[in-house]
Amino acid sequence: MTPGLSTAVWVLFTLATYLAARALCQRFRHPLLNPFIVSAGVVLAVLIVLGVPFKDYAPAKDIMTALLGPATVGLAVPLYRHRQLLRRFVGAIAGSVALGSLTAMLSAGYLARIGGLPDQVVASILPKGVSIPFAVEISALYGGIPPLSAAFVVATGTLGALVGVWMLNLMGIREPMSRGLALGTMCHAQGTAIALQEGDLPGAMAGLAMILAGIFTAALAPLAAALLF
Amino acid sequence: MTETLKALGQLALLSAIYWGSAWLVKATGAPVPANVLGVLVLFVLLCLGVVKLGQVELAADFLLKHLVFFFVPITAGLLDWGGMFAEHWLALAVAIVVSSALALAVAGRLSQALLRRGK
Repeated sequence: MTPGLSTAVWVLFTLATYLAARALCQRFRHPLLNPFIVSAGVVLAVLIVLGVPFKDYAPAKDIMTALLGPATVGLAVPLYRHRQLLRRFVGAIAGSVALGSLTAMLSAGYLARIGGLPDQVVASILPKGVSIPFAVEISALYGGIPPLSAAFVVATGTLGALVGVWMLNLMGIREPMSRGLALGTMCHAQGTAIALQEGDLPGAMAGLAMILAGIFTAALAPLAAALLF
Repeated sequence: MTETLKALGQLALLSAIYWGSAWLVKATGAPVPANVLGVLVLFVLLCLGVVKLGQVELAADFLLKHLVFFFVPITAGLLDWGGMFAEHWLALAVAIVVSSALALAVAGRLSQALLRRGK
């Protein structure tokens, strides 16, 4: 196949896989069955089985992610929709999300360090608690590897989906708004999905926390990097 | 049809904000991701009423509904990192589990204390 044709085929294949995974997950609802994990798993498996190196898939990736930036900017819309909530509890929200994000970065970074991981991997693990578009950009700024960060973000989200509620109960976090804030700070969209099951208020708080965690993690990353590297 | 055109126009506006932010980050060399700046810029524009919700929400809601699609091709980059996972899986698992629990505890306990004090 010519490079142009194979790129087109990879784009269509990835898109079709995503749409099929989405349909599948809407049919069989389960917290661990999400369209991203299913479609990423299928695409990775096909690339491995066919022995396609990443550099051959990369042009297709660049085309498909061209709109990720503008899409991420759209996160200002839910933030704006919840502006009243944000204004009313600004101190508690900003303080806890900021300190939670810093804790996540420093503890993940130090533990990765102690575990003997190379600097690139340590930088990649720092933003693991925030949404993928933020995580990949923050990671790249500090010498991390974007796909690794994406994988760590997914692992964190899966962990939250599995044991997030249990952890909250164990830690004595009972305030509904705090449960939402903690889940959104720890594990982005997956945490938000769990918080929504507990109610609208925790869900809204988790959504706010998820976006703010991205902003605070970006803002505090220079501090974390200075302490770690 | 008009809906599609409207959404495309809104997409152009979101793109303009993103590329404007990307340019600003590059020009100033600030250590801030362009998309984080873009979110803040759009939020401020919405708060100031310069941009109305109706001028972006059609495209924003559609893109956010499918946000995870963009992550699928990014993950393909893991192909080059299989060996690292095989070698360091335990250290990675410990770092992820412990730091996630700590983040959850700090954000949850602190906000709970602040909210209860405010009541």
